[in-house]
Amino acid sequence: MTGRSLTVFLGPQHPGAPGNVGFRLIVDGERVLDIELIPGFLHRGFEKMMEYRRWDMDLVMSARICVEDPDHVELTFTHALEQVFGVEAPEKAKYIRVIVAEFSRLASHLLWMMHFAGPIAARYATSWAIAAREEILKWFDYVAGHRIYHHYIFPGGVRWNIPGDFKEKTLKTLRHIEPLIRDLDKGFFHHPVFEARARDVARLKASDAVRLGATGPNLRGSGVKYDLRKMLRYDAYGEIDFEIPVGEYGDAYDRALVRLREMYISMDIIRQAVEKMPMDGPYRWRLPPSIPQGEGIGRVESARGEFIAHLVSAAPNPKAKPLAPYRIKFRGPTFPTLTTILKHIVANEEIMVADLPILLGSLDPCAPDIDR
Amino acid sequence: MVLRQIMLGLKYVFRKPYTRMYPYKEKAFTTPATRARHILDMDTCIGCRACQLACPADAIKMYRVEGEYPKNRLKIFPGIDYSRCTYCGLCVEACPTGALKMTDYTMEHLITEDKASTLYTPQDLAQPPPGEYRVTLSKETWRPPPSPPPKGKK
Repeated sequence: MTGRSLTVFLGPQHPGAPGNVGFRLIVDGERVLDIELIPGFLHRGFEKMMEYRRWDMDLVMSARICVEDPDHVELTFTHALEQVFGVEAPEKAKYIRVIVAEFSRLASHLLWMMHFAGPIAARYATSWAIAAREEILKWFDYVAGHRIYHHYIFPGGVRWNIPGDFKEKTLKTLRHIEPLIRDLDKGFFHHPVFEARARDVARLKASDAVRLGATGPNLRGSGVKYDLRKMLRYDAYGEIDFEIPVGEYGDAYDRALVRLREMYISMDIIRQAVEKMPMDGPYRWRLPPSIPQGEGIGRVESARGEFIAHLVSAAPNPKAKPLAPYRIKFRGPTFPTLTTILKHIVANEEIMVADLPILLGSLDPCAPDIDR
Repeated sequence: MVLRQIMLGLKYVFRKPYTRMYPYKEKAFTTPATRARHILDMDTCIGCRACQLACPADAIKMYRVEGEYPKNRLKIFPGIDYSRCTYCGLCVEACPTGALKMTDYTMEHLITEDKASTLYTPQDLAQPPPGEYRVTLSKETWRPPPSPPPKGKK
């Protein structure tokens, strides 16, 4: 310690910063003493905008809350809205939702590989991961019509029927991406240099993770077995057999390994869902343009953690049926990650400037989710 | 120890690049479901404004077009501002007559130096896009059309 601290800005233009957020670092030499999030670069006021639009337009907007994992936000909103409508999706749609959600998780984890491996100079892992993700995006284009924002999961089911060769196409995509993920496993996750850099860095104890509101792989990396897919068994997850991977020490390496194992498990879930899915039957219920008055909560395990949507439909006249929700509130998994958890880790551990990409990458933040 | 990773990397050195050589050697990747530029059938459009009301991005405005359109008494047709459009397809879903459709003609119509050219009037939308295209989203997409949910469930 020299006693002279310096303020350094990281992001939002920095290629090593995770998404469109900035950080104010207070450094003493190489040591990071404090870190502060600078949010607001992506603020669009979604929750307020949704109060002025019809519910189907809100669904189209909701996907933009998390760019990297849009289907889970749609699913959260859909669950909340279906609760208000008092309907349940058809059996076939439930399986399609599981497949779409798991592909979204895979695409998100593969994009995280890019954010994680790129800044620590493992460029090869970045390009392998993006090649695998590209196949998933092509699958989405084939099924949902778009690559990034699909608008496919819809209140009352899924938006349109699946194409005729859905099963073969899905299994072919999995066959294409599986060797790439296995190569990433061998070539990056078990690379001695990566292991040396990520082990024992950015540790988060289980008790602290629960106290600070961590969810998803960040919580499971600390050894807490908490997964809404198992707990709530929403959609068709109750019919599917899978395990929850947990870490041991709660360091950056454990969190990375949890995500890697989740990729394997996601592929397994998709294979099971494709086998068990009924091929005929309705894919969607038609819902009226106005929402009945009421309250609904959707909870979903997204790629980054727990996503909650709380929707209230109300009008001054108790018999009126409004077109737009009265109020909608989203709880994203990234907000606690980049505020309390990041500060906690920096305050309790000797983090160097060179460890920052490992620390920020291993937490897998989603910048638009903070601002909304 | 690191040798294993180097051998693994060598496997990828001799692979052909994954990148798509767009636009000079290859065309844009599209599928039979890709949602891109709209196409409007002015003879079947009834000018009901359902597409305008369904647009979450306020990209659709109705324009008056002079001419002989027996089905469209008000003679108003949708025009789309592509600098606002998000290609969600809600307008096609809302169209009661199937006059508005989406094609897989992607990207080319957005490459411009003049921002005003992204505004497509009804006559522009009625023109089929130059080159090859296929209709990807229309009334036919919702086959069978969704029915109301069964009563008494949940």
